[in-house]
Amino acid sequence: MQVVAEGFNAFETQKTPQGEVKYLGSPQDVIDVVQSGKLQEYILLVRGGTTTFLTPALTMGALGVITMSGAPESHLGILSREFQIPCVMTAYLTESDSRYVVGNTDDSHFDEIAQSLIGKTVQLNCDDAEVGRVSLIG
Amino acid sequence: MTQTLLDKRLYDVLNAVALKKMATAAAVSEIVDLGTDQVREIFAELAHSDLLALMGETALPTDASGPVLVDSAAAIYGPIRDDPSVLQVADKFEDVNSRFLRTMSAWQQIEVGGRKLANDHSDSAYDAKVISTIERLVSRLEGLLEALSEKDARFRTYVGRFERSLEKVDAGDIAFVSDPTKDSVHNVWFEFHEDLLRTLGRARKE
Repeated sequence: MQVVAEGFNAFETQKTPQGEVKYLGSPQDVIDVVQSGKLQEYILLVRGGTTTFLTPALTMGALGVITMSGAPESHLGILSREFQIPCVMTAYLTESDSRYVVGNTDDSHFDEIAQSLIGKTVQLNCDDAEVGRVSLIG
Repeated sequence: MTQTLLDKRLYDVLNAVALKKMATAAAVSEIVDLGTDQVREIFAELAHSDLLALMGETALPTDASGPVLVDSAAAIYGPIRDDPSVLQVADKFEDVNSRFLRTMSAWQQIEVGGRKLANDHSDSAYDAKVISTIERLVSRLEGLLEALSEKDARFRTYVGRFERSLEKVDAGDIAFVSDPTKDSVHNVWFEFHEDLLRTLGRARKE
């Protein structure tokens, strides 16, 4: 499997969830995915560790989460540990030099990650103490 | 573009759902001064206005609810936003919040030889120390909660909720520290943080 993105690992786990990357950008996106009955087919991609509208998806049994900003100490990091949902935070593309910098990251950084991952089938590996990995499968 | 401005009753209910992210009428009724049937009626009204989505008994905020809450909060809480008695204590919140988040992580994970391992809660002395820190941080909110409660009595519900969850923890039910499915200290803190930001018209920091 090819590692396409890495980030902070919210917690160590042997779980290796697989699914199609689905971007959730708004509360309505969360409502739609929960109502679709397909929540467990997806790895959820969100912009930040403070993306609080994601909570219903976590409550309803999301498989795994990738964030493009935010720290393991954030609210979302805390929730992912409580729900034991693997979570790669502040993910960056391994083949790109673009990195998230607090308060100094323009939309192109997030767009590049989203365009590279949305719709792809990936696996999360979160068994490392510090680094969570996103790998392409299939 | 002119936005819908909610009256206080509708604001309180929609705000409560938005803070909880998904909630039943019974759960909202516990934190607003309305009965469950009244909340259910307001749910229907808000859903008719496309501000809530109803999934069975559970309500979720729609995309449209965000700007309506922002504008309504600005109208309702305009005077508070310039009130020095509130701002003086509110300005200290972010620092306390950062410490609270770090403490919650310490509750969930223990550092052993540079590695973070899940806290299995077998070390009662460690847990007691973290709980003590949590209680101290919650007590740091007293001044802010009091200042806000003098302007809007609904903020007093946070005082009772913190007390109840901490009493449960002290009685040995440690799930009330951070379990997201209970009215845990972390849940109450998180809702208060979001409520405070909306009330004062401030943005969340990363």
